[in-house]
Amino acid sequence: MLKDAKTGEDYTNAANAFERIAKAETKEWLPSYYEAFALILSANDVSDAAKKDAVLDKAMEVAKAAEAISPDNSEIVTLQSWITSMKISVDPMNRGQKLGMEASVLTSRAIELDPENPRPYLLQGTGLFYTPEQFGGGKDKAQKVLEKAVEKFNSFKPKNKLMPNWGKERAMSLLEECKK
Amino acid sequence: MRPILNLFSLLILFPVISFCQTTISGRITDAKNQPVAGANVTIKDSYDGASADANGAYKFSTSDEGDVIIVASMVGFTSAEKRLHLSGGEVVVNFNLKEASNELNTVTITAGVFEASDEKKMVILSPLDIVTTASSVGDIYGALQTLPGAQPTQEQEGLFVRGGDASEAKTLIDGMLVANPYFSSVPDVPQRGRFSPFLFKGTNFSTGGYSAQYGQAMSSVLVLESEDLPPRSMGNIALMTVGGGGGYTKRWENTSLGANATYINLAPYFAMNKQNRDWDAPPQSFSGSLVFRQKTSETGMLKAFMNYQYSDLSLNYPNIDDVTNNSKMHFGLNNYNIFSMLSYKEVLDKKWTLNLAGSYSKDLSRVRPSPQSLVFSNQLWQARGSVSHTLGELSVIRAGAEVQYNPFSNLYNNHRMDSTELYSAVFLEGDAYITRKLVARAGLRVENSYLLRASNIAPRLSVAYKLGKYDQLNFAYGDFYQTPDRNYLIQTNLDYFEKATHYILNYQYVDEKRTFRIEGYYKLYQNLVRTSNPVSNPYQPVLAEDSKGKGYARGVDVFWRDKKTLKYTDYWISYSYIDAKRSTLYYYSEELQPTFTSNHIVNVVWKRWFPKLRSSFGFTYAYASGRPYFNPNKVDESNILSDRTRDYHNLSITANYLTTIYKYFTVVSLTVGNVAGFDNVFTYNYSSDGLRRNAIGPTSKRTIFLGVFINIGRDDDTE
Repeated sequence: MLKDAKTGEDYTNAANAFERIAKAETKEWLPSYYEAFALILSANDVSDAAKKDAVLDKAMEVAKAAEAISPDNSEIVTLQSWITSMKISVDPMNRGQKLGMEASVLTSRAIELDPENPRPYLLQGTGLFYTPEQFGGGKDKAQKVLEKAVEKFNSFKPKNKLMPNWGKERAMSLLEECKK
Repeated sequence: MRPILNLFSLLILFPVISFCQTTISGRITDAKNQPVAGANVTIKDSYDGASADANGAYKFSTSDEGDVIIVASMVGFTSAEKRLHLSGGEVVVNFNLKEASNELNTVTITAGVFEASDEKKMVILSPLDIVTTASSVGDIYGALQTLPGAQPTQEQEGLFVRGGDASEAKTLIDGMLVANPYFSSVPDVPQRGRFSPFLFKGTNFSTGGYSAQYGQAMSSVLVLESEDLPPRSMGNIALMTVGGGGGYTKRWENTSLGANATYINLAPYFAMNKQNRDWDAPPQSFSGSLVFRQKTSETGMLKAFMNYQYSDLSLNYPNIDDVTNNSKMHFGLNNYNIFSMLSYKEVLDKKWTLNLAGSYSKDLSRVRPSPQSLVFSNQLWQARGSVSHTLGELSVIRAGAEVQYNPFSNLYNNHRMDSTELYSAVFLEGDAYITRKLVARAGLRVENSYLLRASNIAPRLSVAYKLGKYDQLNFAYGDFYQTPDRNYLIQTNLDYFEKATHYILNYQYVDEKRTFRIEGYYKLYQNLVRTSNPVSNPYQPVLAEDSKGKGYARGVDVFWRDKKTLKYTDYWISYSYIDAKRSTLYYYSEELQPTFTSNHIVNVVWKRWFPKLRSSFGFTYAYASGRPYFNPNKVDESNILSDRTRDYHNLSITANYLTTIYKYFTVVSLTVGNVAGFDNVFTYNYSSDGLRRNAIGPTSKRTIFLGVFINIGRDDDTE
């Protein structure tokens, strides 16, 4: 369902499906994890700033619910960092400084919790890629981190089919962009 | 986890397989009967359910039987539930969802309020706006002076709002009154605010009609809300043409501790930029502060803040009574200031919010208008507690109490006078949402002053109605009392609080990129202190005669801000018309325009960001029509204060350049005040025979500020 999803509507439907599972399976973190994940992807399609904020706020709420079930989980903290970065895009001028720092603190924590998880490196690399050099970002810095991310993706094996296993293609294509 | 995993994978990998006992279908609509696409319909505690399509229609089958609860939910709406008995066949269940309250569909009280916050979207100013406004030079009060209703003043510090003087505007940090919010005053030299705008996450500037939570301010309250835990450990260094400073904040899991120090010395700057004052020792100051934060629970926060400042300066004033113009009058000032506070906030049971705060501050000024020696000491102990309780979705009821114990003393050469004020107040206030479009805030405040031996009851009322998606209308009324200045009370027995009554009508349109507001007001003053002489010098003892002064202020404030029309550009224009008069001079019965008000004030603030240059440029232009000044040759009832200074113009420009020094994010900032070199005169000082006068203008024709601000610890872990 998630893999075939293409439009915001598909992602909303997927998020709804996971929400139904999450509400029934209150001891499992994965349904909430995927619900938050689908909500983030559905937010990409929302143009209205207030609505986008509301969807992202819900994603954060769901991610926090997942964290309550499974504390100190690198994958969940990674999602939280991603949501925070998405919230910046709603109002970069005013939120950039404060939320930017919060997002980077969350990625660092995700790496600390599981240094072998490639996804926080992907987020970090993406963040650097889109941050202008004078703010401490830039393609050169992004390339180093993304190389590390791809390296980790190559050696990463999910514990089972349901565990998070996204991001490799994105990391590779972004790395290509950096090299240009 | 195995069995669940299997079920779970079924759901992900295959369409839902079911044995088709009951088919549930229906349509989800909003209040306007429009479809709610993407709404989630589910049977509680089961996997069964479906999403609504673009027409709001949904359909699914379930093998569940018997009594179930079916839930419809959607982001931005309040979830709805329906009970249902399932026994096979087809069932139709329609839902009509109610929009949840949000910034767009719910009215808020806006009369008189300018809010700056980075948490809410639709505020008029963000904290960043304060530091990037050209004429503010990083000072909170400088930025507020570009808003309608506030007077640009450059010969004295403070907020002069809608025909009120600086003592009628109060500054509060987390609910605690700041007794001396500006660096100590010197005649004819304006001073800055003591606190950096970066200490605060929220700035609420109210120019009238404010809540019963606030008292002792007849014109304006500035409510500052301090930052919570910083996201991580970080440091900063500031190098400026006028001095330097730095600080570091360490963050632990639930705790943070920060220390900052700044040293300012204007001597090198004065040497470069010709001064209109004869400085003996240019101003220097040392500031040190400690900031402690402790998260006590998910919703609890304990904050401690301590700020110490020392400043001194001395200068010579021309002795205008000396015809040869050779003698001078020396004036020196040393000031010591401590502000400390402790506050605690906790939310209990999601519905109750508790706020407790305590503060101690002391201000000691040694002033030497030679050959005299004066010492002013002012201590303030205060405590405040309040609770608020949410009723229903939006309505709130608040109650609280505060006490201020204020011993103070003035030493005039060898003559000492001291006294102690004890002030107490209680308040009760409710925000009643009749609908989401209509809110009424009604409050009552009761105050008592020991020195006045008097009490007052101040009613407050504000009603706001939302007209459309982005605009609303607001009416406010209230009585605002203030104890007369303590320097009057130390020598004279006064019996009345000074009183102002506000009537405000406000229309506001705010969308995400544009703001328009227009506000008309009428303010009635009663029981103002009357003095025999005009007050010209903050250290000159002036005796109060009685409390029979009265007056009024009426006018219109207009504000327009646009971040949309021009790319990378943000500008605002404000205009104020003020008609204010008061009778505060004992020997004159007529009401006169105060020396601190202009009739017309215009501010234009413009900022543009140039991404390729990594720079922003901005300017502010301020205009104020001429103000009355005291001319000792015109002291008849018919012509006193009838002279006006020439109109005031000021064009300031600023440029900020973003870069990195080593790996640290750095801002280089340059500001030039009055770049066009307008000759401004604020008032005149006359000789005692009234034959000669000196024009009092700004301390220098142009002002120049260059600063480098380095942030440390931003990208430590990208290495």
